[in-house]
Amino acid sequence: MLALPDLQKAFAGYLSGGDGVDLARIVRGDSISAAARLRIHRHHVQQSLATALAATFPTVHTLVGEAFFGAMAGSFVVKDLPTQPVLAEYGAAFPDFVDGYAPARDLPYLPDMARLDWALNVAFHSPDGPRLAAADLDSIAPDRLLGLALDLTPGSALVPSAFPIDRIWQASQPGANGSQVDLAAAGASLLVGRRSDDAAFVALDAAEAAFVTAILGRATLEAAAQAAFAVEPAFDLSTSFGRLLALQAFAALR
Amino acid sequence: MDPVAGIGLRSPHLAEIAREKPATGFLEIHAENYLAGSPARQTIEHLRRDYEFSVHAVGLSLGSAEGLDEKHLDRVAGLIERLEPQLVSDHLSWSVAGGRYFNDLLPLPYTEESLAVVVRNVQRLQERLGRRVSIENPSCYLAFEHSILSEPEFLAEVARRSGCGLLLDANNIFVTAHNLRLDPADWLAPLPADAITEYHLAGHAVNYADGERVLIDDHGSHVSDAVLDLFGEIVRRYGKRPTLVEWDTDIPALDVLLDEARRAERVLMAGRADARAA
Amino acid sequence: MNTTRFAIASALAAALVLPATAQAQPNIEKCYGVAKAGKNDCQTAKSSCAGTSKTDNQADAWISVPKGTCDKIVGGKLTAS
Repeated sequence: MLALPDLQKAFAGYLSGGDGVDLARIVRGDSISAAARLRIHRHHVQQSLATALAATFPTVHTLVGEAFFGAMAGSFVVKDLPTQPVLAEYGAAFPDFVDGYAPARDLPYLPDMARLDWALNVAFHSPDGPRLAAADLDSIAPDRLLGLALDLTPGSALVPSAFPIDRIWQASQPGANGSQVDLAAAGASLLVGRRSDDAAFVALDAAEAAFVTAILGRATLEAAAQAAFAVEPAFDLSTSFGRLLALQAFAALR
Repeated sequence: MDPVAGIGLRSPHLAEIAREKPATGFLEIHAENYLAGSPARQTIEHLRRDYEFSVHAVGLSLGSAEGLDEKHLDRVAGLIERLEPQLVSDHLSWSVAGGRYFNDLLPLPYTEESLAVVVRNVQRLQERLGRRVSIENPSCYLAFEHSILSEPEFLAEVARRSGCGLLLDANNIFVTAHNLRLDPADWLAPLPADAITEYHLAGHAVNYADGERVLIDDHGSHVSDAVLDLFGEIVRRYGKRPTLVEWDTDIPALDVLLDEARRAERVLMAGRADARAA
Repeated sequence: MNTTRFAIASALAAALVLPATAQAQPNIEKCYGVAKAGKNDCQTAKSSCAGTSKTDNQADAWISVPKGTCDKIVGGKLTAS
């Protein structure tokens, strides 16, 4: 007999890959052995968490298929169990795990697809709030505008990649046509954000990506513009800033 | 809440329900799906105007010896303050140990020690929420050698000491009785009728372990006739309560689920399983 | 205000008065809908094959070949760097 804290510790050890010998000793066995009964729980933990990861990383799941995803997710689950019960918040470390997962090394774009899936998941589960509109900035003097540090909407993220991850994403959608994506095509930087009833992304060019990266780092608009000009001297600040405003990418001023 | 039948609200049906507002007794959600500020959370907050709600938590881990996760408890409390549901429940099980969350309803030994742990956790939950909660009997696949109480005796004692309600899942009773070789009628005998607040129904699957049939509580099919028979027996014995049909695996079209709830409601109203096809 | 600062301020100000047509939004990918909210539903329901022993040691990844849509992704670089 084990005291409850020890029993739960032993059960946790078994579910994390231990042999469960100490546990099987205190479980009633009959024509179904204690070990077989315990395995039902271990299978459920592994499969249900792999299923939750498949829902959080749908593009990765589609790209590699059920069997490969199940093996990859299963390896991740035993190493990195959730630390809290909300499964929509489980899997932050999965993209880096995919990056180091040797069987996937022939799919070099896969970690970035996982990062895109995760960013969409985070954006979707972030609170909706008031957005910044162009009119909110009308009355601000140019000098103050330069010194303003804007916030993107909660849950926004930039996913940069050396691969055309926007086109890979499109090719992985249900109902996508069979056309191929050439990995040699230029990389993409995607701005991911929450909208009123979904999460979405938009592709940015290199200078826009530098502008948004600076803003995510709480740079002033002036410093962000300078960062973009450093990448592309012909950066069209008006058009890009207007586009971000039209996308409602910024949170309202506090 | 009236003793009517409702459905477990699952995300594939969310948009259709928000659009069509089909008639059903009530909607039950899993708390953990709606703790973040997603569009889905906004949708159910709107649906509050049209439906009675029940909030069924799956992650409070009321059987954890280490006590409740206060951060998680705060988030669940926030949802409940917002939705003001008619019923709030979680399970007689545990899913957290050493800061790891196992996404399973893990079994407890039914001992005095476990009883003290569960009562303490249920009391803390009720104190934090400022209301009574109900505890559901889990589906069991194993039992511990050192259990000294039967599951219904244990549940009855938790209800007596903490003042909580009981949520009886007829499918879980059926699955547990089969897997642990118990008689469902014996299982029912020791329960206090006045503590029972809600019933659950779902389908189960047949699987094999060591070459023997095991019933798996997969919520993936129609409620079996045998479970509806048992449900009729429960209603005769303990009376009518709000009754939920859950379907979580191979989720069917919404109409199929709504029909299943109507079938359960016929049994509920007549207290007879043979009323299911009427 | 030096010339660069002036140019940036002007460009920002100009963005505030762009006509709506100039702000056409190309290629926003709508990705998610409310159907994405159900991850915790898989706890109360057991995986139906949970009793099956062959679910131990899920396919050995080294011999498991990706069989999804990744065959559409061709050519190009072999490493991310």
